[in-house]
Amino acid sequence: MRTWKRIAVMTTLALAALGALAAGVLVYSGWYDVSATNQHLATTYRLLDVAMRRSIALRAADTVVPPLDDPARAVNGFRHFRAHCVQCHGAPGIAPQPFALGMTPAPAALVATAREWPAADVYWAIRHGIKMTGMPAWQYRMSDNEIWDVVAFLKVLPTLSPAAYRAWDVRYPPMPAAMPPSAPGQIENARLGDARAGRRALQQYLCATCHTIPGIAGADRRVGPPLGGFADRQYIAGVLPNTPANLMHWLRHPTQVDPLSAMPDLGVTELDARDMAAFLYTLGGDR
Amino acid sequence: MAGKGLAARSVPWENDMTVCRTWQARMALATAALALLAGCGAEPAPLWPGPQAAPLAQADAQRGRQRIAEHGCISCHTVPGVRGPASAVGPPLRHVATRAYLGGVLPNTPANLVRWLLDPPTIDPRTAMPNVGLREAEASDIAAYLLTLH
Repeated sequence: MRTWKRIAVMTTLALAALGALAAGVLVYSGWYDVSATNQHLATTYRLLDVAMRRSIALRAADTVVPPLDDPARAVNGFRHFRAHCVQCHGAPGIAPQPFALGMTPAPAALVATAREWPAADVYWAIRHGIKMTGMPAWQYRMSDNEIWDVVAFLKVLPTLSPAAYRAWDVRYPPMPAAMPPSAPGQIENARLGDARAGRRALQQYLCATCHTIPGIAGADRRVGPPLGGFADRQYIAGVLPNTPANLMHWLRHPTQVDPLSAMPDLGVTELDARDMAAFLYTLGGDR
Repeated sequence: MAGKGLAARSVPWENDMTVCRTWQARMALATAALALLAGCGAEPAPLWPGPQAAPLAQADAQRGRQRIAEHGCISCHTVPGVRGPASAVGPPLRHVATRAYLGGVLPNTPANLVRWLLDPPTIDPRTAMPNVGLREAEASDIAAYLLTLH
């Protein structure tokens, strides 16, 4: 009996080690083809698709769907759709942009999505985005109300012929300066926000593509200075004394503070700036 | 590295000789494969190879390290290899050779690094880093040392 147990344990361990080794060899040898032209196997695709649908359905289950049949809401949604969605997803009679044609997974034709997905799931996917696809999260770029406007338009979309879509395009031209740049100037009340929300926001403004940031996976670039130990740093970007008010101002308008800076204005909202500052001030210690 | 670490886990089977031999053979094969793969990948140079100290032919990195201490750079920057209390007035200069921009404004090339060290306010009037009155040769030495900090 004891020998049996030992053999069983040893076999399990051996298989686990062999599995890990095999996985390591597969990854490290570069065997897996990451090219966008190489499609998934049909079963892999099915599995990923089911995982995505189930994941979204679970998380969207408690969403309260507002009334979507107001025509004004659909028109406003159309304006956002034309500004942000049609480039990848296309529209009736309108092809996606060339860059979107090369994407894997392919951006869905939203007519089909509207015919198959419930409103709450569509809202959730727009709001949170979908990892490992090209679908970005829009919650940092659009208000919840605007996202629902887009859902309202998507509800209309399957009823539009190509000619009808073109008619919408003519009838509802883009609003001049639909998104006015946020007002310049310092933030009056320098109260910090929520550090955990700030950590998420740092990812959503792609801070990690330039800065090394402790606590954010993949944030190991050295385009900008490392942000470890930021709380102890005396200056922001070498130009502003490191105070909460200055940091929030810098996060929102770096090119106003220093026109020569390589750091771009990223359209950070005041709330997100407060949260991001709160997170950055958790980064102490000498690094 | 990875192959070595995984192979080390094969110890539990040492007491069973036949199994051991089979596993060891496989492990050795896999490790060899990994080593081969790692060996083949004599990393090709990146598109832009990064700031090499080569253009600073006259400069001497060790002299540069000395000059960093002499000119008080460490009163604002923490510099690896130069002793002194840690300071966080300016950014730490660890990895400065791999940093993309100097002072957040100037692409990090050897020539630009020397220019920046000589007179930061001329390059960016807003910078808090002062002109510390380096001579060109001193700035080149310091640049040469900083470019060793990968």
